[in-house]
Parts: sequence; structure tokens; C-alpha cells
Amino acid sequence: MSAPLENLENQLELFVENIRQVKIIVSDFQPQGQSVLNQKINSIVQGLQEIDKLKSQVQDVHVPLEVFEYIDEGRNPQLYTKDCMEKALNKNEQVKGKIDSYRKFRAHLLEELSQVFPNETMKYRTSRGDDVNRIP
Amino acid sequence: MSESFTIQVADSLRRFEPNSPRSSPRGNRSPVVPRQQDSTGTLKTTISLGKTPTIVHTGPFYLHKELPGDTDLTGATNLMAHYNLEHSYNKFSGKKFKDSLSSFLPGLPGMIDTPGNTDNSSLRSIIEKPPIGGKELAFLNSSQLAGFRLHPGPLPEQYQTSSLAPLKKKQKHKKHKKSSEISIQETGAGIAGPGIGVVGEGGAGSGGESYEKKHKKQKRHEDEKDRKKKKKEKKKKKQKHSPEHPGASASIVTVFFQNEDAAFLGEAFADVIQPDEKLHGDDELEANRKRKRNIQKELSF
Repeated sequence: MSAPLENLENQLELFVENIRQVKIIVSDFQPQGQSVLNQKINSIVQGLQEIDKLKSQVQDVHVPLEVFEYIDEGRNPQLYTKDCMEKALNKNEQVKGKIDSYRKFRAHLLEELSQVFPNETMKYRTSRGDDVNRIP
Repeated sequence: MSESFTIQVADSLRRFEPNSPRSSPRGNRSPVVPRQQDSTGTLKTTISLGKTPTIVHTGPFYLHKELPGDTDLTGATNLMAHYNLEHSYNKFSGKKFKDSLSSFLPGLPGMIDTPGNTDNSSLRSIIEKPPIGGKELAFLNSSQLAGFRLHPGPLPEQYQTSSLAPLKKKQKHKKHKKSSEISIQETGAGIAGPGIGVVGEGGAGSGGESYEKKHKKQKRHEDEKDRKKKKKEKKKKKQKHSPEHPGASASIVTVFFQNEDAAFLGEAFADVIQPDEKLHGDDELEANRKRKRNIQKELSF
């Protein structure tokens, strides 16, 4: 992971920890905790300032919207990456299959046409610049 | 007059001649064909304009088009290898990822696996309605912090959110342990009898699983209490069986009293052994030991 992202992650973790501590203080508040609460509130503001400073370093990081759907469902975002790669691989295989099928069809068609229309097929292949003797 | 008449006749003839350019709305002009953008290559044709515009195909074959340029990268190539993603793919496909968000972010406190729609904390809502920003983030002064003065005491129940982490699957081992403990207790009642209560009557079996799911915390407390009781009773037993303990004789007699079969013996020998008496001297100790042995022999028969 790059340094700016690591810094941002650390800063966010510290911020969340601050919030958690404020939650603990507030859940069973005691008068002597008022000063601590005030300090924590100011540390929250400081945390927000730090995060705001880091935003310029991560401007070029693009996150796909579909990842947000995974996160909103409470799912692991690494599963999105895994699903993406699997989809890409499947599509690659699909397209490769189509290309291979079309190539085989072209070869078969040329073979049959050369038997039925030999002269025209020769003309066609020379116009295409194909090697007449090469099997397509 | 004659000219206008001829024009009118010509017009009428045009109207009544079917399938003729003259009957068409555009006259003798060529029909308008919607132009479809064909990206498969340029058509080798020549268009001749003039009185009779025609489209002449100059290529050797009808609809003979130029092929698109050859590209090195097509779908036929292994794109994972091309973009050096094989290692990443093997890593993601080989490793088993847990489905929960908490497994990706174990350091975050609270329940993060719940959907964002339930508590209005979804990222989608932030994208659709971004919060107002751009303002300066300034520290709060003392007068502003006065607004955060709180009343002492705990939060009302309606505002208390459980901060406990979600229950882990390790409890399954505890369930198995509980069921094994229960089976041991039920089979090994023996002398103890009703003196030691059976733990969790509904704990064993499938019916107990649903009960445990609903009342897990209560069971834990009950189990802890039972374990403490067992420990105390074990200690008592050990102390009972030690000959130096003054109350040993009394405890043995009371155990025998609980057993219905030996109740009559207990009554018979109650006068012999008085549990409240304190033992004095070694002679009395030896005498009591002998009495115990005799009683045990008689009961064993």
C-alpha cells in the first residue's frame, strides 16, 4: 500500500479510536470527566483537520462505485476484487472462444467456397493479400 | 389556357401513375435512405453524379470492404498475463476470504457487519447527498465547549447501543462441552443423588440448541454458578474423606442419610455418632475411625 494511503488509514484509525473513547465517557458520564470530554472533542477536531490535510495526497485514487455496494452490505471489499478478476477471466475466455470460432468458420467457409467458386475465391484472397497457399 | 390545361393533365397523370418516380413525393430525386454508420470498413464504391446519379461498386465483390487494422491485443490473448496480474489473480482466487467486513477491518470497534441501510450509515447516501463541507475546521473555545456539559449518570436504555463485538463461533465448543458435562452428570448420579442438581435440563439435544440461542447469557451465569458449586462440593468431599477433619464423620453419615436405602442404617447409628460433638484427644479419634470402618463394612454387605 502506498504511503499516503497508509497515513490516511492510520489517521482514520486514530479518529475512530477517539470517537470510541468519547462514546465510553458519555455512556456513563461523571462530572470529573468533563475536562477529559472537552479534550477529546478538541482532539476530534484535530483529527478532522489532519484527515483534511491528507485528502490532497489521495486525489488520484479512484474507487469504483460497486465497492461501495459491497461495503454497504457489510461484505468484504476484497471479494469485489476477486469477483472482478473472475469476471474478467471469464469474459476473456468467452471472447477467445468467439474469436476462435469465427476463425474456424472463416477457414471452413473459404475451403468450401474454393471448392465451389475457385476463381472467385482466388480473386478474393489475392485482393485481401492473403497467401493463396496458406490455410486460413 | 391550353398550357395550363396541359399542366393540369400532366399533374393528374402523375397522381394516377403508380410506382413511378413522378408519383413519388420527392419527384425524380433519389429516395432518402437513412444513413447507417458502418464501422466495419470503407465500402469500395464510386458515386457518379449528374442527371442519373448512380452508385457503382468498384471493388471486385459486392459489399467488399476494407478490413479493420490488425491489433496486437485482442480477446484471444491472455489478458491476465499481458497486464501482469497472474500473481494477484492466484492470490485472490487461492485465498479464502471471509464474507464479513469485520474480517477486512478487524481493528474497527462495534458492529460493522450490519447493512448501511438499517442505521442510515451507507456510503451510497454520502454519494447521493454529500454533506456540506468546505468550511474551516476550528477548535472549540470554552464558551462553545460549555454546550457539551452533560448530566452525570448512564445513558437511557433507548440510546444505549451494544458495543460488544459479534458473538464468535468458538461457542460451539462450549456447547459440546456443556452437552458432555450434562451426559456425565445424568449417568453418574450415584450416591450424590439430589444433593447435587442436574445442570440445564434443556441443554442437551436439539431442543436445547434453540433454548441456548435465545438465552445464552443466562446459561453462562448458570453454568458459572454450577461450576462453583461443583468445586465447593469437590472440596467438601475431599475434606470429608480426610480422617483428620472433625466434620468428616458427620458428612459421611449425612450422605448415607440422603440415600434412601441406607436411611434406616443412618437412623440406627445416629446415636452412635453425634456429629455435633467435638473430638478431643487421640483416643476418641481412633474410636471414631473404628466405628466408621464398621459401618462401612455393614453397608457394603
